Amino acid sequence: MSSAASNVVLSDAMLVSAIRSGDEQAMAQLYDRYSPIIYSVALRVLGDTGTAEDILQEVFMQLWRSPDVFDASRGSLRGWLAVIARNRAIDSLRKRPPETDITEVVVSVEPDLAGKAEWSRAAEKIRRALGGMPAPQRSALEMAFFEGLTHTEIAEKTGEPLGTVKTRIRAGLMVLRKAFNP
Amino acid sequence: MNLHEEFAEDLSLYALGALSSEERQAVERHLEECSACRRELERLRGDMTLLALSVSGPNPPFRSRERLMAAIAKEPRRVQGRLQKATGWWTAVQWAAAVAAVVIVALLWNQNSDLRRHVASLEANSTEQQTQLMQAKELIASLTSAEAEHFTLVASNTPPQPQGKAIYVRKSGTLVFLASNLPPLPPQKAYELWLIPASGAPIPVGLFRPDSHGSATVVKPPLPSGIEVKTFAITIEPAAGSSAPTSQPILVGIQG
Repeated sequence: MSSAASNVVLSDAMLVSAIRSGDEQAMAQLYDRYSPIIYSVALRVLGDTGTAEDILQEVFMQLWRSPDVFDASRGSLRGWLAVIARNRAIDSLRKRPPETDITEVVVSVEPDLAGKAEWSRAAEKIRRALGGMPAPQRSALEMAFFEGLTHTEIAEKTGEPLGTVKTRIRAGLMVLRKAFNP
Repeated sequence: MNLHEEFAEDLSLYALGALSSEERQAVERHLEECSACRRELERLRGDMTLLALSVSGPNPPFRSRERLMAAIAKEPRRVQGRLQKATGWWTAVQWAAAVAAVVIVALLWNQNSDLRRHVASLEANSTEQQTQLMQAKELIASLTSAEAEHFTLVASNTPPQPQGKAIYVRKSGTLVFLASNLPPLPPQKAYELWLIPASGAPIPVGLFRPDSHGSATVVKPPLPSGIEVKTFAITIEPAAGSSAPTSQPILVGIQG
């Protein structure tokens, strides 16, 4: 005898599939699951709650209009939405039209970390890796990622040679990679 | 590691969007002819994702949720229009196939909960997901096959609210059942789905309780293959289920 599957916790894949057929409640569930990370990333980049709310709206509307551009085999929905939020926030910060095609956004993060507890642990691990970096390395990485500065702009701002900035950014990303894939 | 060290640093900057447009074009020209650097770029984008995920901050205000829901209500999805033009049975099959596929993926996913705890097993899990997708695709192929028989279950009294759809492939014994608007039941009772064969006694298919919206799903219950079905029916039974119906059906099937 089989039991019903009516009350299973809906996975991201199920919710995205439901969005494809226009299910507004599926959208509400994804909002409840991922609006904190999208809003936090946008707020970190922009430092302005009103514009961060606009980015939040824009990212979800994009998912509503084009759920097919999310490819679950290439990474987690959480990571994908977080990176799109960052890209859109940087575009807004630099007052330029959207530069990145969202189909290019690739996230090689373990999809099974979708559970809240798993992600809390993973986020803590990332923060520990960032905290363990030398301050200039972390700062160069964060200026590139959260401020959208080019390496030339970072070099001008910090007064350091261009080559040093490049090396620090590369090394910073490698530290993160190693922390997550030891 | 990367064999193209001269591009390694520029690739990191490229992933972050931190190159000037001239430098960006030079990297893009190299990427066109270098698969190793394309792979490395994908990895770097993954590393970059970790930075995005390191952020924690306040939750958005509640008005943002209301704003989003109002916006999507004003912008119905394109796909709905297409579905409305489809014929009834085909709509049901597509709907059921989509729901069934995602339910199966979710169920299989849950079975792999042990794997979830191992962050290091990224590659193993990726293979697992491919298998799950293959199984989901196979299920869709069964459901959309020309041999699939379709039944629409309606209330045996006139008010049409409770409804069920059963999609059955006789050759493989595959069944997907979806119900909606079912009244809630007391804790000691459950709905039971029955396969009524062309000859012989009703076969119990599955016990279920609807969710708070009155919806329920029974996906791929263990059924022998090749049974010729007369119809499907639902009765209200004790919570532990019955081996033969003990009450009159509240929903019965009509084929079509």
